[in-house]
Amino acid sequence: MLPALVIYLSIVVVPALYSLYLSFHRWRGGSSQKVFVGIGNYVQIFTQDSTFRIAIKNNLIWVVLTLIVTVSVALILALLLNKRFIGRTAVRGVLYFPYILSGVVIGMIWTWIYQPQYGLYNSIIKMINLESFKHSWLADPKTSFYAIYVAALWHNVGQPMVLFLAGLQAVPKELTEAAEIDGANRFQVFFRITIPQLKETMFIVYATQFISALKVYDIVKTMTNGGPAESTNTLATLMVRQTFDFANFGVGAAISWIMIAILLIVIIPYVSKMSKE
Amino acid sequence: MRTTKKLSGAVFYTLIIILCILWLLPMVFVVLTSIKTNVEFYDNALLTLPASVNWANFITAARRGKVFLYMRNSLFVALFAVPLGILVQSMCAFAFARLDIWKSNGVFAFFLFGMMIPMQSLLIPVNIGMTKVGLVNTHIGLALVYIGIQIPFGIMVMRGAFRSIPVELDEAGRLDGCNNIQLFTRVLLPCAKPAMSTLVILQFLSCWNELLFSSLLVTKSSLRTVPVGLLTFFGEQGTEYPLLCAAVLEIVIPVLIVYLVFQRYFVEGMSGAVKG
Repeated sequence: MLPALVIYLSIVVVPALYSLYLSFHRWRGGSSQKVFVGIGNYVQIFTQDSTFRIAIKNNLIWVVLTLIVTVSVALILALLLNKRFIGRTAVRGVLYFPYILSGVVIGMIWTWIYQPQYGLYNSIIKMINLESFKHSWLADPKTSFYAIYVAALWHNVGQPMVLFLAGLQAVPKELTEAAEIDGANRFQVFFRITIPQLKETMFIVYATQFISALKVYDIVKTMTNGGPAESTNTLATLMVRQTFDFANFGVGAAISWIMIAILLIVIIPYVSKMSKE
Repeated sequence: MRTTKKLSGAVFYTLIIILCILWLLPMVFVVLTSIKTNVEFYDNALLTLPASVNWANFITAARRGKVFLYMRNSLFVALFAVPLGILVQSMCAFAFARLDIWKSNGVFAFFLFGMMIPMQSLLIPVNIGMTKVGLVNTHIGLALVYIGIQIPFGIMVMRGAFRSIPVELDEAGRLDGCNNIQLFTRVLLPCAKPAMSTLVILQFLSCWNELLFSSLLVTKSSLRTVPVGLLTFFGEQGTEYPLLCAAVLEIVIPVLIVYLVFQRYFVEGMSGAVKG
């Protein structure tokens, strides 16, 4: 246990606390002086930074989309794959496959699916003669954020799907069979037996998806880097921008602690549940 | 009754096939592009086969993109971080699941909190720390960071796996004269194979794909890992999509191998995470 504790403390805990310390200072990096500003960075973020408002709104949209759309799609896929059929393992592999690609690769593939001239999407639209649906998804601030989300859905849905599959396999067969004998139809079995049995899994899927939705970074970074006109920034991309592009280390640290504060709300019930006997 | 069953079977399969096509389409596109010449790519409609397979792309991509160098670097980091990380995590999980330790639940909760910390917030402090101990621009330093980040999730999964192993097994082992270490290596670890396979897949993936720390801690171009190298290559090649696609396919191969080898236990291993 000791080695884990040592590595954990030195890589995660101490650096995180150091960034909390930084968040109360104004620091331009390097050897420049760290000036203590109290909660000045936080005040500035909430009152003056208009990009922060966009970022937090985007993050909120992303979280809602993830918790509703991604989780539902994952559950539906898991239910389909929980049936026995020929080629089940192969299909599972196919649906999970995008998850093994890196954010960089996903970003490249999808930037290019959306590419207005040669992209896959617009080419298919052209093929079936629906020219009016042509659109530069990523270049339009109104649609770019949702366009990124679609790519992320393709990328990520395999993960909660596998969690649901693991949960579904733990549902005792006798239970659903007994219900069927008692004359329950498929929907009744689903809502009365399967869903309640999946409660634990649901809880974990929601918590982990919430955490990763709030931290979303790679895919936005590679597809739009926060543009056009800062419209697709999330808290994580904004934080990196403040830190590395503008050298506002204190502000960056403050943004990351705002993220931690939001996450705390979710993680406290999660942790207390997980660490219970 | 039978016909409706057949019909719903047909509907079911059609649904599955449509899903697979949707999911594979982007990859089909990448594969088709990787074997086209640049001219063919810009001339033809997207989902057509090229006149002849242009294998040269793979060679050019590997040479110009230094794909093998980056893969070797990433592989080194992963081979260091994944086994060591899983060992450390399972030892710790063993302590939580089987040993009497002070405030076990509290300490476990303390570990779990690590899952909420955004990696980005660790970048600067870790960079400062690594500079102080001289591990910047080394693969060991990068691997240590990956081990650290993976610890909370790994411990959670392994603890779940150990707890689902009946205690009677321990008792039998103890009767045969096992001490704690033997109990851990001979009894519990072999029983936790599915969970370990899952962790191997997930942690190998995250080592292979991690971009942020890698780009910050490793600045020497000869030490770069795959994502950073790939990003550089994208920057240099810009519009030569066939080359980029070939490079993408090359770097996917190792992860695909790891996934295929360990996926047998995958769903089963995940149950450690969902049961807790």
